[in-house]
Amino acid sequence: MSRAPARNGAAPRRPGDEDDICPVCKSSRYLNPSMRFLVNPECYHKMCESCVDRIFSHGPAPCPVAGCARTLRKARFRRQTFEDLHIEREVDIRRRVAGVFNRREEEFESLRDWNNYLEEVENLTWNLLQGVDVKETEEKLDAYKEQNEEGIKQNAAIESQENANTEAQFAAQKEQARLRREAALNEELDERREKEEGMREMVDMMAKGDGDADTIARESQKVVLKKSTARRTAAEKSRQQAAAVPLFSIQGLKPLTQAAPEKEYDPFGGYAIKPEYYYLRDHYEHSWLDSARSDAQITAGGYDVGEYCARAMMEAFGGLGVFVQDEIGGRQMRAEKGVGTASAAAAGGGGEEGVDGDVL
Amino acid sequence: MKFNIEDLPVLFPYPRIYPEQYAYMCDLKRTLDAGGHCVLEMPSGTGKTVSLLSLIVAYQQYYPEHRKLIYCSRTMSEIEKALAELKALMKYRADQLGEEEQFRGLGLTSRKNLCLHPSVKKEKSGAIVDARCRSLTAGFVKEKKERGEDVDVCVYHDNLDLLEPHSLVPNGVFTFDGILKYGEQHKQCPYFTARRMMPFCNVIIYSYHYLLDPKIAERVSKELSKDCIVVFDEAHNIDNVCIESLSIDLTEDSLRKATRGANNLERKITEMRSSDAEKLQNEYAKLVEGLRGADEAREEDTFMANPALPDDLLQEAVPGNIRRAEHFVAFLKRFVEYLKTRMKVLHVISETPPSFLQHLKDLTFIEKKPLRFCAERLTSLVRTLELTNIEDYQPLQEVATFATLAATYDKGFLLILEPYESDTATVPNPILHFTCLDAAIAIKPVFDRFSSVIITSGTISPLEMYPKMLGFTTVVQESYSMTLARRSFLPMIVTRGSDQSAISSGFQIRNEPGVVRNYGTLLLEFSRLTPDGLVVFFPSYLYMESIISMWQGMGTLDEIWKYKLILVETPDSQETSLALETYRTACCNGRGAILLCVARGKVSEGIDFDHHYGRTVLCIGVPFQYTESRILKARLEFLRETYRIRENDFLSFDAMRHAAQCLGRVLRGKDDYGIMVLADRRFQKKRTQLPKWINQALLDSDTSLSTDMATASAKKFLRTMAQPFSERDQAGVSTWDSKDLERHKEKMEKEKIRELRNGGGKMEVDGMDGLSNGQNGIDGDDFEDEDMDALMRDVDAE
Ligand code: SF4
Repeated sequence: MSRAPARNGAAPRRPGDEDDICPVCKSSRYLNPSMRFLVNPECYHKMCESCVDRIFSHGPAPCPVAGCARTLRKARFRRQTFEDLHIEREVDIRRRVAGVFNRREEEFESLRDWNNYLEEVENLTWNLLQGVDVKETEEKLDAYKEQNEEGIKQNAAIESQENANTEAQFAAQKEQARLRREAALNEELDERREKEEGMREMVDMMAKGDGDADTIARESQKVVLKKSTARRTAAEKSRQQAAAVPLFSIQGLKPLTQAAPEKEYDPFGGYAIKPEYYYLRDHYEHSWLDSARSDAQITAGGYDVGEYCARAMMEAFGGLGVFVQDEIGGRQMRAEKGVGTASAAAAGGGGEEGVDGDVL
Repeated sequence: MKFNIEDLPVLFPYPRIYPEQYAYMCDLKRTLDAGGHCVLEMPSGTGKTVSLLSLIVAYQQYYPEHRKLIYCSRTMSEIEKALAELKALMKYRADQLGEEEQFRGLGLTSRKNLCLHPSVKKEKSGAIVDARCRSLTAGFVKEKKERGEDVDVCVYHDNLDLLEPHSLVPNGVFTFDGILKYGEQHKQCPYFTARRMMPFCNVIIYSYHYLLDPKIAERVSKELSKDCIVVFDEAHNIDNVCIESLSIDLTEDSLRKATRGANNLERKITEMRSSDAEKLQNEYAKLVEGLRGADEAREEDTFMANPALPDDLLQEAVPGNIRRAEHFVAFLKRFVEYLKTRMKVLHVISETPPSFLQHLKDLTFIEKKPLRFCAERLTSLVRTLELTNIEDYQPLQEVATFATLAATYDKGFLLILEPYESDTATVPNPILHFTCLDAAIAIKPVFDRFSSVIITSGTISPLEMYPKMLGFTTVVQESYSMTLARRSFLPMIVTRGSDQSAISSGFQIRNEPGVVRNYGTLLLEFSRLTPDGLVVFFPSYLYMESIISMWQGMGTLDEIWKYKLILVETPDSQETSLALETYRTACCNGRGAILLCVARGKVSEGIDFDHHYGRTVLCIGVPFQYTESRILKARLEFLRETYRIRENDFLSFDAMRHAAQCLGRVLRGKDDYGIMVLADRRFQKKRTQLPKWINQALLDSDTSLSTDMATASAKKFLRTMAQPFSERDQAGVSTWDSKDLERHKEKMEKEKIRELRNGGGKMEVDGMDGLSNGQNGIDGDDFEDEDMDALMRDVDAE
């Protein structure tokens, strides 16, 4: 244990370093440097991997820690996320509670109600955590779960969709950042290249030897300047465009609730031409219809006996849906309305006259 | 002297005025009239502060609105200087006007400097003084006392309550010494006197932080009205101040302390539940109602304030799941525990706040909203529990602030986890940096709130960078040149050593013996010819150390010893101040000395080397920032994406402002003279980024010298400086008395009339010229710097 004092110094500690000894088999990290600790969310007692293998390989067994004796299964052992096992447990409980109480702020009428709800939930969680009234609380939890199964499922779906969305957004942002970086790099390279080219041109010109060096230098400087400005504006423009089209994303949108599937298009808007008062048969037995059916002279022109029958039936039952009393009532109403508009028209006309009078 | 700027009569406390001071005042007035912001660059040592104060005081007194002046400066000594100037100015005004004006000017600094309490003031650290003072002055302590309990209070503080709240001190200007003395006499606390008198002052002088750091600003500067005139002096670093004020670093240690704090809170809550449950209940009830108690709002000494939260959020009720004290503490613990888990990762992580929040939610079911209320809720809890030993909770508070910031801002911040201190370290020592990338966030409330914000400094070139970075628009943006009767400073760029090979502090060649030797000879030559003091600036401590050890090996230092004493700045401030003292002594007694320091160190920022304390300043290498830092890389990226400032532009701008700052150290007035040497090949291309006044004095022939040429021209310069030079030579040229000023004004009038007659056409052409010059300046930037580009590629590869 020569390492112990060093560990207690200011040197930072690694996860799991603080209790290097497995509480079950008492082997220490000193002997087994690759030792890993696992916990089971049943009782949160820590033990090393080899102990888990040894004890639980043959099926469920009681926890070996003295005074615990809960039955544990190997499958549920896992590495701890948090250093503090209380927190580990708390988070597990929270996960469970959050799976049930997943109401959303939009569902509440006021902020205050929402806050009250939050506190209520927090109280429940708190009870579970502290082991106060566990039974009652569990009952409440179950009852709520049963009552609101539908809502819970819905909210869970919305939430998972939200998460997927944000993830997609993060990915997109990263990609965009990468693209932009690349673009900037390219731009810089271009600029460099151009500058060098300009330089070379200038030297060439000077080498050719007409005109004095100063003027040439100035001229080519100007050219380079012009080029770079032009390129810069172009780059700026393209960047703006890029920024305008795909980079445009609105933050904080509410997730859409699934729209109902679109119905097939119905040109009559739900109005069906189906006889209401009678039933149209496919075939009517009548001797003089038979000839029309079979005679090629008639059928060749497209005459259809079925259509004839339908028309005849319609004509026979045509007035049956009409109730004279109602019709008359309706007509009277219409007439009254007509009077109303007439008077209004008169009034309007009067107004007009008034205006005229004013003008005159 | 007395003169008018347009209709405004200005009293200037000196018989002569510099032309640039006059121009500066005119532009200031223009800004104030227009009611906008401005950026002004005024050469160092030309009486910036006094012109600023005399104009603004004249403005205040002349116009009926009496707009209040808030003057922010960086260091204590600068604040004190400004207070002294103001005092002298007011005295002069009183003499001239024949009466004392209704005028109050006060300065504010930390309790540590202003405390009078016999035992508290003996504490060494400012934080402890603050904490102890709070424990003596908090509201509930007083309540307890009134209830007859036996508690410690500070008499100095309690005496204040007996006075009339709006006249704790008589009219006049109080320097720090003055108010300490007054406080001693009247047994009243100078700190709280200044704090409480702030609404009734005409001029307030304090440090940047009181306005920029949101944690302090809300407490101290809340009551200032909208039409205040805000001045940031020495503002060339203002963006960094803004960023620092919103950045938080967390270490494992601080998290451990935070856990301890949370446990303490838990214990306190249990105690209180059993003894005084009513208080907790009251708090709870208040939170349910979503009220921030009216008494809390005006309490001057809360534990902490909220970091830059939008106002509407502050009005909202605290979310239900952290309403109860127990719940909240558990919540905090969970968050801290989560952070600890994050710290265990052994590779570098950088992520945006939204992705951090997402991960947090997945793992611990902490939602964004309660997180956002963390800071607020903690404040309320601490107040309810009546905790006095607040310093124990500092780490917890930091965590809470972090939580609030991370949940409030999606953009402009980045979380960077660095598990190792350096690339070569093997023992992890993780630090979680929550860095602010956008300087505009912290300063935005200032620009939003005050109609006139003046940003000024001796070296603030290029001017257009600041509005861009800080996100504001200016009405006036001006850089003044220095009028000189003789050429009193000599800027030079040395690009080659005595062997004609290029010198540079670029990464590839900085440690080559040839370059180091060349730098050595340069230093030797200048130590030979410079009278008295010589200041040398290096880009970094690291480079300074390596180059010094190499010089030692080459025997250069032994040579230099013959001429000058050699002193070195170190990161330790006490050592440095000792070195400085020795340096001063050596300069005074004629031995002469060299001070080797770092361009971003303390010396380069706050210490003046006037007259014989600095006859030559030698800038070895371009002081680029350490580009490997992840925080810087992130910031560069952010600047590029958000403000379209390219990495190269920003790095070079940043390097040059520091170089200019170093150069400005030696010239602190018009009768001063000095040599400024920029020793690096790369300076040649960055010349346009120097402040206008330096750039103008830099002759074209001096922009690419070798060591021997530089020595020759420096010798010549010193010889001319040795000629007698009297006040009279300056009169009319670089200093004006009232007659000169009248003449100047007449000339300007005529000029204006002529211009109007000629029509506006010509002016436009002028404007265009200016623009294309600016273009030139940008394009003239170098892209051939291999090492820089290599760096950039690194950044990009990240
Ligand atoms: S009230 Fe003033 S004098 Fe008293 S402890 Fe605080 S700062 Fe010091």
